[in-house]
Amino acid sequence: MIEFCSASLVYPNGVKALSDVNLRVGRGEFVFLVGPSGSGKSSLLKLIYRELFPSQGKVFVAGQDVTAIPRNAVPYLRRRIGVVFQDFKLLPQKTVWENLAFVLRVISVPRREIRKRISEALDLVGMIHRCDSFPAELSGGEQQRASIARALVNNPPILIADEPTGNLDPDTSWGIIQILSRINARGTTVFVATHDNQVVDRLMRRVVALDNGLIIRDQDRGMYHHVPEPESLCNSEPQEC
Amino acid sequence: MNLRNVEYLIQEAFIGIWRNGIMAVASISIVALSMAIFGAFLLLVLGSHNFVERQLARFEIAVYLPVGESRQKAIEVRDQIRALPLARKVTLMSREKEWASFKRRMNTEIDLGGVTGNPLPYALHIESKDSRKTSRLADQIRHINGVAHVTDSRETYGRVKAVADLVKILGFAAALVLCFTTIFIISNAIRLTLFARRHEIQIMQLVGATNWFIRIPLVLEGIILGAMGALIAGGLISLGSGYIVNVVQERFPPLLRDISSGVDSRQFSMSLAMAGAFIGALGSFVSIRRFLRT
Repeated sequence: MIEFCSASLVYPNGVKALSDVNLRVGRGEFVFLVGPSGSGKSSLLKLIYRELFPSQGKVFVAGQDVTAIPRNAVPYLRRRIGVVFQDFKLLPQKTVWENLAFVLRVISVPRREIRKRISEALDLVGMIHRCDSFPAELSGGEQQRASIARALVNNPPILIADEPTGNLDPDTSWGIIQILSRINARGTTVFVATHDNQVVDRLMRRVVALDNGLIIRDQDRGMYHHVPEPESLCNSEPQEC
Repeated sequence: MNLRNVEYLIQEAFIGIWRNGIMAVASISIVALSMAIFGAFLLLVLGSHNFVERQLARFEIAVYLPVGESRQKAIEVRDQIRALPLARKVTLMSREKEWASFKRRMNTEIDLGGVTGNPLPYALHIESKDSRKTSRLADQIRHINGVAHVTDSRETYGRVKAVADLVKILGFAAALVLCFTTIFIISNAIRLTLFARRHEIQIMQLVGATNWFIRIPLVLEGIILGAMGALIAGGLISLGSGYIVNVVQERFPPLLRDISSGVDSRQFSMSLAMAGAFIGALGSFVSIRRFLRT
C-alpha cells in the first residue's frame, strides 16, 4: 500500500532528515512509527502525501509513484489519504460539520450523501453532539477526534496520523488510539507516528523505529523500546524494494 | 466543476466574509476611504477641466462694421455669421447703449461736448462653438463683406489656454498617480486579509482541495469587499458633492454651472463599484497565487 524505495530527504539548509529509507506497509496494516523528536518521523509521513519531495529515491502509494505525480494532480493523491495532525489543522472559521463537509464538497459528493457520511464519521469518533461547534470551542481531545472524523469521512484506504496524541492526556490519548484501531479493523491502512510509549506498548502492533533518519528497527508486534527477542530480531532487517 | 459546487463556492464567499468580520470591515474601510479620496480628486479634476473649458469658450470675437453703416447691413452681417458652422452665439450690440455707456465712462476724462450724434459703428459679439477654433472663426468672419474690423483676443487666449492645458495635464497626471496608489493600497488590504488566512489555505490543500476550489471563494470575497468599499466611497462622494453644490448654490449661484464635473453621480458610483470589484478580484487572485505555490 505504501512503499519507500531508498528514499532520502535533505532539507535546503543541509539537514539530513531521512537516509536511504526502505519500507513497505501492506494493505490493512496498523504501523507505529516511533523515535525521538527530530528522528524524521514527520518528514517520512509528509513524503507520503507529497507535502515534501524526496531528495533521492521513490515513494509509492497504492502502486503509484508519488514523486512522479505532476503538481496539479497532488490534490487527487491527497483525497485517497486521510491525514490526522498533531495540531489538528481544523479550519478555524468552520464548524466541525462544515470541516467534514468541505472534504466531501471537494470531491463533489451529493448533499444527502454528505449528511449520511458525516453522521457516520462523527458517530464513529463520538462527536455527533459537537457537530455545530467551532474548533476553538472544543477541547484538545475533541478537536483531535473531529480531525480523525475529517480524515476518514471520504473513506480513504490509508489513514496517516502524525503524533495524534501529542497534545493529549493519557486517557484521551488511549481513546484516540482505540478509534484508530477501530478504523483499522474496517480495513483501512493506519500509519501512526508517535513518541507515546504507553499506547505503543499497550497495543502491541508493528513498530518501525527511526533514529537520525535511519530505520533502526522494524518489529511485527513491537514495543516502543527495543526488547530483544529471537523472533523480533529476525524481522528487524529493513525490507528490500 | 458542477452547478452544486458553484452554489457552494458562492455561499462560502459570503460565509467567509461574515466569519472574518473584523478583517472584512478593515478591508472595506480601506477600500472605501482610498476610493473616496481618488473619486473626489477625479471629480475635482473633471470639474476644474470643465471650468477652464467654459471660461475659454467665453473668449468672444468682436466684429465692427464701418462707421455710418446701416442697421439693415448689420443685421445682414449678423445673419451671415450665424450661418457659419463654428459660430454659437451672435449678438448685435445696441449702438445707443454702447454710446451711452461710453459717455458715462469717459465723461470726466474726455470732453465729448463737440461730438454730435452717435459716432460708434455697429458691433457684433460672437462666441465660438469650440474655444480652440475661435481664431479660425475670426478669420472666416474677416472675409464677410461689410466687416471692417475683427478682434479675437488671440494672444490672451493663447496664454490662458497654455496655462489651462498645463493645469489639465498636471491634474490628470496626479489623478493617474492617485489611481495607482489606490490600486496598490486596495490590493495590499486584500492581501493582508488573505495573509491572515494562509493557514486555512494550507489546510484546504492538505485535505485535497484543488487550487481552483480554494481560489474561487477567495476571489469572490475580494470582489465583494472591493465593490462594497467602492459603493461606500460612491455614497460618501455623493454626500460630499451634494453639500458642496448646496454651499455654492447659496453663495455663488452663477458659478454652479461652471464648476460642475458633468458626471452623473449614480453612474459614477457604479463605475467606482466596478473598479473596486475589479481591483479586489485582481488583488485576491495575485495574492492567493503566492499562497498556493507552497
